[in-house]
Amino acid sequence: MLEKDVYAAFKKIVGERNISQDPGVMDSYAFQWCNEIESAQRGEEPQRFGVRPLAVVLPKSTEEVQAIVRLCNEHDVSYKAFCTGMGPWAGLSSPRGIQIDLRRMNSILEIDEKNMYAVIEPYVTNAQLQCELFRHGLMHHAQGAGPQTSPLASHTSFVGPGFTSPYTGFSGRNVLGVEWILPDGEILRLGSYDHNGKWFTGDGPGISLRGIMRGWLGAYGGLGVFTKAAIRLFSWPAPKEWKWKTSGTIPEYDWDIPPFWKMYVLNFEEWEEYQNAMYELSDREVTMVATTSAPEGLAALFTNTKQEAIESIFAGLLAKTRNYIVMLVAAHTEREFEFRTKLVQSIMEKYGGNDLIEEGVTVPKPMHYGETVRNMLGGHAFRFSNCFQSTHGGMDTIAMAVRLAQLNQPVKQKYIDKGVIGDDRGLGVWITSYESGHMAHMETPTVYDPTSVESCLGYAAYQDECNQMDLDEALGMPFFIVGDDVHNFYAERTMNYADWIRKIKAAFDPNGVSDPSHYVKGGERKK
Amino acid sequence: MTLGEMEDMMDSCVRCSKCKFIPQLVIQSKRFSSICPSIDYFNFHAYSGGGRMITASAYYKGRIELTPEMLNVLYGCTNCGGCEVSCKWVYELEPNEAIHELRVAAVEAGVGPMLKHKKYIELVERNKNPYGEDPDKRPAWLTDDITTDESSSTLYFVGCTASYRREEIAVATAKILNSAGEDFRLMGSDEMCCGSPVYRVGDEKSAIEIMKSNIEQFKEAGIEKIITSCSGCYNMLKVEYPRFVEHDIEVVHTSQIIEGFLKDGKINLTEKVPLKVTYHDPCHLGRMAEPYIPWEGEKIEVLSQVYIYDPPKPERRGAGGVYDAPRNVLKQIPGLELVEMERIREYSYCCGAGGGCKSAFPDFALWASNERLEEAESTGASTLVSACPFCGTNFKDGIESRNSKMEYFDITELVLRSIGGDK
Repeated sequence: MLEKDVYAAFKKIVGERNISQDPGVMDSYAFQWCNEIESAQRGEEPQRFGVRPLAVVLPKSTEEVQAIVRLCNEHDVSYKAFCTGMGPWAGLSSPRGIQIDLRRMNSILEIDEKNMYAVIEPYVTNAQLQCELFRHGLMHHAQGAGPQTSPLASHTSFVGPGFTSPYTGFSGRNVLGVEWILPDGEILRLGSYDHNGKWFTGDGPGISLRGIMRGWLGAYGGLGVFTKAAIRLFSWPAPKEWKWKTSGTIPEYDWDIPPFWKMYVLNFEEWEEYQNAMYELSDREVTMVATTSAPEGLAALFTNTKQEAIESIFAGLLAKTRNYIVMLVAAHTEREFEFRTKLVQSIMEKYGGNDLIEEGVTVPKPMHYGETVRNMLGGHAFRFSNCFQSTHGGMDTIAMAVRLAQLNQPVKQKYIDKGVIGDDRGLGVWITSYESGHMAHMETPTVYDPTSVESCLGYAAYQDECNQMDLDEALGMPFFIVGDDVHNFYAERTMNYADWIRKIKAAFDPNGVSDPSHYVKGGERKK
Repeated sequence: MTLGEMEDMMDSCVRCSKCKFIPQLVIQSKRFSSICPSIDYFNFHAYSGGGRMITASAYYKGRIELTPEMLNVLYGCTNCGGCEVSCKWVYELEPNEAIHELRVAAVEAGVGPMLKHKKYIELVERNKNPYGEDPDKRPAWLTDDITTDESSSTLYFVGCTASYRREEIAVATAKILNSAGEDFRLMGSDEMCCGSPVYRVGDEKSAIEIMKSNIEQFKEAGIEKIITSCSGCYNMLKVEYPRFVEHDIEVVHTSQIIEGFLKDGKINLTEKVPLKVTYHDPCHLGRMAEPYIPWEGEKIEVLSQVYIYDPPKPERRGAGGVYDAPRNVLKQIPGLELVEMERIREYSYCCGAGGGCKSAFPDFALWASNERLEEAESTGASTLVSACPFCGTNFKDGIESRNSKMEYFDITELVLRSIGGDK
């Protein structure tokens, strides 16, 4: 329990309705997906209940967040802020800590159509922002975590690949200015905002602090609290009069596909042909989506239930599917559409591919077009067992992604043979290209049983082996590194970068109260 | 299912927060993207479908006790089932069922339901209605120009709210039935509450007693068909009763029987009702109205860690609710224009009254009705229509509280006007 006077001081900031220390309410924050893997690794029963916060506060404004952070510094209370909160990185590691739930800070503050940026608060979700942007003929980059998650969280604190990455890049690339409550409670506004009230750039006239704020991986909320962020926007390839419109009843909705849109699933017999085609498709800026998974994954992408997905697997989908790219050509005009579709056809023929949609092997319905651009397809992977997790993967070149996928297969198959993870014949990957160029992201989504010690430990061992392979085979930088131990693991052969991150953490968080959770600790807490 | 039987299911929540929003594909605006009045009002994660499922698991595991604040969490929920519709887009989880089971466990432990609920349960037992009204006055709404046939095997089960608070719905329903030549009888002062307010707050034992007693009464009276104008009664009689008491009585809602009358030409909508209306789907007529189909079979591992049910397990996802009947009726009323809100059918936003909230959390219930009214107003409609007296009561309270120009009518009232029966 927090000391009575400390609790009273927090209550004074947010008001009685917006603070709780009830154990039941706290447990709904302690419970996180993937905690079961960490608890199994500690030799405990796998369980999702992690560290229970001493209190949860629901601030409404920057000023309230700042006051909370200052109070935490004053009373040696750790804090962790989060938005929708999915994953152990949203939770606490310190037993003397509070959770700052940013749910009440949920406004879209500005959409600058001309200069193509939006300023948002933490709890605006991807789907919510997307709806409002479409009215302006704009879209943003939405991370693969899903439409219900926070673009601010991803842009400020994670790498954030997504389904439209060939067109929109990744979250870390698209953050402009931010309003940042530093770990000690000072407010820092990065970028142009502090100079002219406009957020068009993340770098002001002085030195850029974006590298410190988030760097490559982001700090997963372990370095203060972000209360506003300006993010870059992109042109939405549909007429302004087009409206997001659905009809029907769950799970068979219909969705109005904009004109000049077409989906492909280009299939290539060998990885080499796939790789060459992926380079060329990316280089020619032909597609908004270029995503790859296992044949089993394809079964999940364009079906609406687990039953349907399983049925399509047993109906022979696997035999007709090799290395494929789900592509979405989304053009503004008819001429642009004609040009792009011809180009796709030409690249497909050049590398000996075939289109699985044209051949009727897989049939995306109109609603699956909608799910693709709403970034919902990743969630389909949960349908198999209510649970999956991904390895740390890699973010490098397209060739590196392919190499990773090839090397991963026998490693994964070993754990499949042990019966501890889901059987995708070791082919389960997620690859997407980035920014119409040579870059790509690769991770290996893996189904496991969260209620089984054997399965949790099996998954954890598989992940460790993948990490080791990253180093031994020089597979580039992972897109996701959680916690001190994993940072140390990679840092050993990467110029001890983690020491520098720790120096930053220590300098910005002198009292050590910004709970690092799955980031790095900055050293001993000041007493 | 008990909490113990649900443990693995509850522990499979990935805390993704999808349960807070309507299914992501159907979100059209930020303003109307939420599905859960409870999380919208109370904000702590524990007040969401997933959050409550986590607390139910924590309680089952002995990690927490049902403190007064936990009772607020447990009962500050309309049990509307919206969370479950959104969750099931991806997961095989049943947060709304877990919430109900935690309520049952709270009652069994002697800590639930809340004081206001206990009071109305006493009133149901004593006066046959939760309002504490005189049972003899139950048929007081009945006017001289309404004809009933006490020998009929069709019962118009009026329900407590239409009997005592929204009598205009009872009158309209009876007159429509008369107009269509549909014989029916009433239980009059012998009519007992359907048990919904008792069941929804977890007092399952008392609710089952009511169900048994009612079914016995219906059987003694030779009832073969029940017509109800209340979504809550409909849900109990059609969906919940068969889980606990065997009966083969046909249960139909007024919107369905009116749709049938129109199809068979038994009534004619001749009078113009020049209104621009929007329709609110009551939770208990919509997503909660799917039957529980008993399932027996095997769980088979088809791929490592991946199981399916053989034969396939019937799913309750909200798709099979009564959505089209009320709309088909409204569309046939001459002069009436039906416009839709953004949140409709299985992802309709709850009015805020159900699950015991109107009595135990009146401020929350009123706030939720205002949320829904704002959505209704945003369509440009002048009139909100629904098919549930309890939703109607909460909306009328909401309209008054916000000084809205919007009017509220039950679907039966508009049909009565259109057949000229209100003259």
